[in-house]
Amino acid sequence: MSSDIESGDRMMRNKMEARGKRAIAKIFFYCLLSVTCLLLFFAVVSFAEGKIGVKTVAIITGDEIMGRFNQPSGLFFDEVKKRLYVADSGNGRLVSFDSEFKYLAELTDEGMKLPTTLVRNKEGQFFILDSGKAEVIFIDLEKKIVKSFPLTGVPSGKEQFIPGRIAIDKGNRLYMIDKLNRRIIVVEPTGEFVREISVKEKDFFGFTDVKVDESGNVYAMDAIAGSVYIFDDKGVIVSRFGKRENRKYALRFPTSLAVDKNGLIYITDQHAGRILVFDKKGVFQYAISKPGAKEGELSSPSYIFIDNERRIYVIDGNRIQIFQEEKEGNG
Amino acid sequence: MKEMKPSRHLVGIVIGLAVFFGLEHETGNAKTVKDTKSLCLECHSKIAELTNRVTVHRPVRDGQCTVCHNPHASKRASLLADDDSNLCYNCHDRGGKGFTGTVVHKPVGEGKCLSCHDAHSSDRKGLLKKAEGDGCFSCHPKEGIIAKKNIHPEVKKGRCTVCHNPHSSDLNGLLIKDKKSLCAGCHPGAGEIFTKAHLGYKVSGTDCFGCHSPHSSDRKGLLKTTLHKPFGENQCTSCHSAGSTAVVKSGISLCTECHQTSLAGFNKINSHLIVGSNDNLCITCHNPHASDEKHLFKDKEDRVCYGCHSDTKEYTAGSNHKHSKLGICSGCHTAHGSNSQFFLTKGTDTCAMENCHSTQGKFTHPIGEKIIDPRSKMPMNCSTCHNPMGSPEDALLRFEKDTELCIQCHQI
Repeated sequence: MSSDIESGDRMMRNKMEARGKRAIAKIFFYCLLSVTCLLLFFAVVSFAEGKIGVKTVAIITGDEIMGRFNQPSGLFFDEVKKRLYVADSGNGRLVSFDSEFKYLAELTDEGMKLPTTLVRNKEGQFFILDSGKAEVIFIDLEKKIVKSFPLTGVPSGKEQFIPGRIAIDKGNRLYMIDKLNRRIIVVEPTGEFVREISVKEKDFFGFTDVKVDESGNVYAMDAIAGSVYIFDDKGVIVSRFGKRENRKYALRFPTSLAVDKNGLIYITDQHAGRILVFDKKGVFQYAISKPGAKEGELSSPSYIFIDNERRIYVIDGNRIQIFQEEKEGNG
Repeated sequence: MKEMKPSRHLVGIVIGLAVFFGLEHETGNAKTVKDTKSLCLECHSKIAELTNRVTVHRPVRDGQCTVCHNPHASKRASLLADDDSNLCYNCHDRGGKGFTGTVVHKPVGEGKCLSCHDAHSSDRKGLLKKAEGDGCFSCHPKEGIIAKKNIHPEVKKGRCTVCHNPHSSDLNGLLIKDKKSLCAGCHPGAGEIFTKAHLGYKVSGTDCFGCHSPHSSDRKGLLKTTLHKPFGENQCTSCHSAGSTAVVKSGISLCTECHQTSLAGFNKINSHLIVGSNDNLCITCHNPHASDEKHLFKDKEDRVCYGCHSDTKEYTAGSNHKHSKLGICSGCHTAHGSNSQFFLTKGTDTCAMENCHSTQGKFTHPIGEKIIDPRSKMPMNCSTCHNPMGSPEDALLRFEKDTELCIQCHQI
């Protein structure tokens, strides 16, 4: 009888011990799961916050030789010559840098007043928006030509033509914003009219920036509405997304846009002090940088450009910051 | 030994909580020796007199003093049972009729109902503390509204709610109707006198505020103070086809034909040459007929700017510390175009303009081209440390001054 009781007690003890071990194992498992979830959460947040995945390649603020920038407004990376050109508007000059972003030279000309945006074609000719003269200037350094870029065959709009930012495609066609007529004019390198791109939507205020991808798709921004329009290579609207909203990762005060080889759209937001990345459908992907004055932080980004190596050039006040994404599987 | 299932623990906890809160509830409703009305009025006899007024707040009438007051203790004045911002809304629905507009009267938004209403009783409808006009004028000074020679009759009578909703509205100025239909309610726009006054132009259905001041004016017919020259000289055909509101030229050229130099003002690095929702970008900001504002602005300056810069409006509204001249945008910014960042009138010297902050940088932290911010490697200016558009910190500082600001650059 007593041995039955003892064996019963033993069984009970063993059972209790087993349950205890299982409970400890469960607690350990849940702790591990919680920590993993927490780590995953912080990884996602860090990524969205721009803390990982992007490094600052260079910051250009000027030096004793080139002097300081004064209101740089536009830049262009020449893939052929591997040179960076900056429209240093306040100083009325173009400044060039080598592939390691070392200062090379500056270009000034009496015919150029306030250069604000520029592109360079494969022949090495520049097309520069001169906001001071409200015209596009053509510069051929080899032939030493600086002149107004003549347009032919452009259908007259209701208003006079005052050009805004310009972009160039791989076929050397130019895409120029016609500010007052709220359209984009596409012209051949000769200035001959190809087509115009416009939208008829009621809440459309006008284009403020334009870029073209490798396939000839056109990406344009309406900064007042906070919208991005995507057109195909025939100028037909493919999609539109975005509106100005005062919340995190929404467009508050968009200033410029660029598109990478994967079709991701990068938008600088001056009031958010960030670059927001969206896919073509307008789905937010992640943010780069954060507001601030330190290296890698943005205080008032106003222009963005992405080169073929997916380096991201941002004009931020009187400095230029160059970022490189380090994400795997996205390049 | 029988092991309890977790579900039984849960049931036990629920029962325990139910008993606890049940008891709590019971004690909260501990029976009083008398009904609250007579109990409170024993001491607060003056309140009894208030119930003799024309309009009595229902809880006061019913003797439910504890709806608003805690009879024992409160951290709030007058033993109020809740914060000012919540108290009234415990009974009066925030989402109720008249409260759901996007433009909210400031005291309503802040829950300061007692600015206008008496919590106990009043001789006026709606428990108003003062007669309608007097109540409004106590915050909106008469000098700014009815100081001029000719006064709109309803304004003179103080009947502000004829045009304004005192709680909220979807329209600027808390208007009860849009500007195009508001005036037509009393001024149907028919008849010989009306047509003659408008030189035969069919103006019914247009925005009367474009030319007329709704409150008062020194001009006949409540015309606004500053008149566009052709309008003042009855030269309507300078811009309009005879007898029609249609304009003779489309777009900006209608304006630039006379204002020839204006367009050049946009030819800057930063330009406001953005068409906006109007065919003619000039009327995005300016009124082509008359205005009570400088530069023929179509509205108060800050409202004109915030029309597009809505995020700035929200940011500044939410900032604890605001620049004293925040509503006067043109005090620091150039409207058409500028070669300075943020359209600043004098670039980084803007803060020192017109003796606003002329001593800055002379005896305070040095600033200027030679003083380099080690974080950005850029020259320091006022906005390195201050955010003129608003800040949660004192003196519009970008960081908390005792613990964060200096160590941004000066490492300990």
